[in-house]
Amino acid sequence: MKKVPRWKEAEFEEIEYEPTSIKEILIEMKNICELIVDLAYSAILFNSKEIAEEVRYLEVRMDKLNYQIRINAMLAARTKEDAEKIAGVLQIAEAAETISNAAGDMVQLLSYKLTHPILPNLIKESGEVIKKMSIGENSSAIGKSIGELKISSETGVRILAIRRKDGWIYGPRGDVKLRRGDVIICIGPEEGIENFRRLLKGEIEVLE
Amino acid sequence: MSEKEAQEMLLELKEKAELMVDLAYSSIIYNNKELAEEVYELENLVDELNEELKKLAVKDAIKGELDVNEALAIIQLGDCSEAIADAASEIADVELREIELHPIIKESVLESDEVLIKVTVSPGSILVNKKLGEIKLASHTGMWIIAIKRGEKWIYNIDKNTIIKENDILFVRGTREGMEHFIKIAEGKEKEI
Repeated sequence: MKKVPRWKEAEFEEIEYEPTSIKEILIEMKNICELIVDLAYSAILFNSKEIAEEVRYLEVRMDKLNYQIRINAMLAARTKEDAEKIAGVLQIAEAAETISNAAGDMVQLLSYKLTHPILPNLIKESGEVIKKMSIGENSSAIGKSIGELKISSETGVRILAIRRKDGWIYGPRGDVKLRRGDVIICIGPEEGIENFRRLLKGEIEVLE
Repeated sequence: MSEKEAQEMLLELKEKAELMVDLAYSSIIYNNKELAEEVYELENLVDELNEELKKLAVKDAIKGELDVNEALAIIQLGDCSEAIADAASEIADVELREIELHPIIKESVLESDEVLIKVTVSPGSILVNKKLGEIKLASHTGMWIIAIKRGEKWIYNIDKNTIIKENDILFVRGTREGMEHFIKIAEGKEKEI
């Protein structure tokens, strides 16, 4: 039997009122909005259907959040002044959703049959590179957290996502520990990426 | 062959659109109308760029330098970037209206994973008169300068040749861990990057 992608399963889930704070929803929306654009470009650059699937899933998640924030916002407005202020919140939520939809449209490109990659020079010129790397058997990074390794402060590299077995961890926080077998998608300046790669391959013990 | 040109334009569009999103959120955190207006300016630029990009893609397709699918792909990526740019203007729009912002807007931006900070370069900072390429700020601190305000002027096209001057106001994006270290460097309290 063919497996239904996660985003399809979630696409038309019922929307119910959940007592989450508007602030929490808005934070998640902003996080997704940053991650999804990076992931959409990575999907295209790597020609990766897997990452594209994740973009779709995040897009669906964003839809749901946008419904929820509308419901909660309507319940929160008691006065005319409340309503005026909350209109601004909804405007920002709507913009975040527009961004996620644009990212979703980008990954649609992967379904075209292209003769060669459309953006081979793009990565080189932007100064930042996006790389997919796996962790080596002997790397000293195994079992250490991202914060402990000081990846971003030592190298300027940001980890966009980690693939672990079948699942993904998006925008992992500092306390996430790296494990054997992890596949890491990261973005950053070329030298920083090289430095990080050497750590993952076990060529160096700590980032310098 | 203008395929390269099309790619360069696409890259510029992508970077401008992302910059606009950052600036739009910054305008909200710092209640900065000026910054919000800059987002609007950039939007016009993005519209023009996208128009040019489309024309170029169509021309190349007619000449047979790009196949139809490739031209379509470039046009679609351009449109997506424009949609992102438009969304950024919608965010900036909230700042430009005469309505008081709901406090949760600011809080939610401040508590999200990536931080945006504004910091003034003090005369005693080691950053003064340094080229960005030479100090490798991004790789050492994990913080990226997205815009600089120098006197009345705004600088967005920041690259490795950009030189930091004293009293520059830097708008910086990055991780929470890198933030404090960066502020100390800019304020001259920390002498090593």
